[in-house]
Amino acid sequence: MNKKNAAKETLLKEIAKCRSCRFCVDVCPTYQASEGVESMSAYGRLQLIKYLLTGILEFDDSLTYCLYSCLQCRRCEVVCKSKGQDIDICKIIQMGRSLLSQNLVQGNSNEKI
Amino acid sequence: MKRSKTLIAQALSTLKENMERTGDPLGFRHTYWTEWANGLGLPKGGKTVLLTARMYQMLPYVIQTTDMVASIKPLLAIKGFGKVLSMGNRLAGETVIRLKAIGAKKIKARGTKALKGIISALNSVGEYPAYLYEAEPYSGVLLYDLGLEDGIALHINKVYELLKDHGVEEVIAVDPHTTFMMKEIYPKYIKNYDIRVKHYLEVLSEGKENLGNTSHKDLPKEFVMHDSCVMTRDLGIVECPICLINLMKYEAELGVRVWDMGEILHAALVNPSSK
Repeated sequence: MNKKNAAKETLLKEIAKCRSCRFCVDVCPTYQASEGVESMSAYGRLQLIKYLLTGILEFDDSLTYCLYSCLQCRRCEVVCKSKGQDIDICKIIQMGRSLLSQNLVQGNSNEKI
Repeated sequence: MKRSKTLIAQALSTLKENMERTGDPLGFRHTYWTEWANGLGLPKGGKTVLLTARMYQMLPYVIQTTDMVASIKPLLAIKGFGKVLSMGNRLAGETVIRLKAIGAKKIKARGTKALKGIISALNSVGEYPAYLYEAEPYSGVLLYDLGLEDGIALHINKVYELLKDHGVEEVIAVDPHTTFMMKEIYPKYIKNYDIRVKHYLEVLSEGKENLGNTSHKDLPKEFVMHDSCVMTRDLGIVECPICLINLMKYEAELGVRVWDMGEILHAALVNPSSK
């Protein structure tokens, strides 16, 4: 398994831990700033990464904007931990960005990650 | 949100190219980052160094760069424009950004005061760090934040080698992002990483009883503290006051004067009558 595929597998395993409780949604500053767009929240971004990795979605302007607008402030993780889960949400978004960045820099912006 | 993909792709490519070419995120070949230290007589080398990582000094240039990018955003949708822009940036970007940033004297002066305040406060607690001047490296935190993993390993190794060549054993960083990068990320890329890294407020809090005589007359009567995400959640530093540099850009919008901790230290320790 190459490095890219190993990263994808790790990401999907981590995302699968999410119980979809959505407690992280309300505390996300970009969710608040977007006045309630769930794709602009921590939970929304995890779902986007999952669907990008499984090939259901391809990245476009909106998805790129959602992933790169995360402030990495970790407010979502504080809530996640307090609700009994301990998902490293910002690390997942960071790894998602990493996969996306490689494609964007190489000019393969229409490929799936 | 429109054209985000093109804009981000262009920004990432330019950043990566700048870093590879010059080691600087803005692609500046020459250094504009050392003027703040004029007259301070800081030693050029030593076991403990202050690492500004250009964060305060870059502020006027970053503001100009983001303004310029915002003004040409519609053009980025045109196929091929990104390549032309990249070439233009290589040839004239530095000159244009530098000329435009000359107007941002006020924000530059505040960055200088903040850095001088930090040095003065460190001296008060018995810490006299060296400064590497033109040799001072950029931490590479933007590469990490934006997920440019390919470029990060190479950059981190270069920075580490440079610090070792200068005999550096301890780094005192002035901003939370550089502290996080050098404390938490560098060790993941370098085997047996042995450079001690502290934020300057950690150093001050260790010797706060020695801070000496301070003047309160020029300090703001009321101020808002910024809860830095990086300090509290990435670094677990919750007991020191924190850095406000990011909020300085939004003063007009927020309608408040944001005081950086370095500026407060400058007003209290260096030159009480200068604001």
